[in-house]
Amino acid sequence: MLLRGLLASVENGVNRILRLDSTAMARLQPLTGKVIAVECAAPPLQLFILPSDEGLLLATQWAADADCTLRAPASSLLRLVLSKDKTAVLHSPEVDLEGDSHALMALAQVLQDLELDWEYELSRWLGPVATALISGHLRSRANWYQQGFASLNQNLAEYLSEEARTLVGQREAQARFDELDQLKLDLDRLEARFERLGRSLNSSDNA
Amino acid sequence: MTDQRKGSDAEPTTHFGFKNVPESQKAEKVAEVFHSVAAKYDLMNDVLSGGMHRLWKRFTIELSGVRPGNKVLDIAGGTGDLARKFSHLVGPTGQVVLADINASMLKVGRDRLLDKGVAGNIEFVQADAEKLPFPDNHFDCVTIAFGLRNVTHKEDALRSMLRVLKPGGRLLVLEFSKPTNPLMSKVYDAYSFAFMPMVGKLILNDPESYRYLAESIRMHPNQETLKSMMVEAGFDRVTYHNMTSGIVALHRGIKP
Repeated sequence: MLLRGLLASVENGVNRILRLDSTAMARLQPLTGKVIAVECAAPPLQLFILPSDEGLLLATQWAADADCTLRAPASSLLRLVLSKDKTAVLHSPEVDLEGDSHALMALAQVLQDLELDWEYELSRWLGPVATALISGHLRSRANWYQQGFASLNQNLAEYLSEEARTLVGQREAQARFDELDQLKLDLDRLEARFERLGRSLNSSDNA
Repeated sequence: MTDQRKGSDAEPTTHFGFKNVPESQKAEKVAEVFHSVAAKYDLMNDVLSGGMHRLWKRFTIELSGVRPGNKVLDIAGGTGDLARKFSHLVGPTGQVVLADINASMLKVGRDRLLDKGVAGNIEFVQADAEKLPFPDNHFDCVTIAFGLRNVTHKEDALRSMLRVLKPGGRLLVLEFSKPTNPLMSKVYDAYSFAFMPMVGKLILNDPESYRYLAESIRMHPNQETLKSMMVEAGFDRVTYHNMTSGIVALHRGIKP
């Protein structure tokens, strides 16, 4: 019952987040009626996900058969939850899919494409004027921090590579890599030439 | 636990809480209780169960195995907690019937569901669980949550539910039952007979309705008795799951 209570809270939270994206529920609608089972091998745990246009229904058991079953170790499931590229995790070898994988892929895609409209949620609580002021301030702060971080990053990289000479600069490294590539090609050509000479010497000996 | 039906000319009696009343009066008295509590039924459920009733109903949904296109009957559906979930699960090709003998409860349930945009695949029917007005072999799943203990002739109701179910269909009975832990039983008794009527008085100014609720729970068949009643009615593979130390049990039976 404790697990069921926990799951109900998680379901409530997930559905709140889904509602912040104006397209998520509409995209979940075609998945209505699909039952997706998630089986964690270690620790042994089973979870059923039923998507619909109302969000996700999470259950610890479901009396009907699942349309799609996902079996994976806890580490892969955690990566699936946290990773931005969920499709790549689903294609990894330790993840086993059985049944109609389209339902799971479509659900993963919806979760991956979430664009949360947090300003709308904030405006429901604080009103449009306060939200506009707060979000404008937060946005300019975020831009300032982003620019500051990018600038710091660039200055530090330049100092380490150009002034302190602790690291090799990007262009310098690229030039060295190009030289190495050229050297590798030259060696390949030389090896091919030696091989051809060897073959022609062998044929003249036989004659 | 069976209802008392006397063989003599005197009208048979049945229990209404701890009292015995003529059978013809029980439905009327139960109706009075629910007319009184209908408006604040959900609030009272949340206050008295500490929100646990949502988890009990959630488990019922999980065991129902309802799929798109299924026909579901929710008897004594009250304010429509289960019917709302079923409506989403069966989709536009399915059908949900919310039935309740009490017009006030049905009205509250209907208004609440329509306000939440639940419509199209749901019907509201005022019906007696003992004489369900539906064809034979019609529903894939029948549920009755916290309603069976208020029914005068439980055996008749179970037989009626069996009749309307399709072969292979499931009956789920969610109902208060007997706590499995003696300590919990004592705490629960004190809670039911002291706290529940007090909250009933504070919120609804109606302690009697909640005294009846506590008494009717004690008079309801325990887990094993209800299981044997379902087997006698003709259900197959009858199982039950205790929840919250047996305060509530979910019985499931399949129509053969």
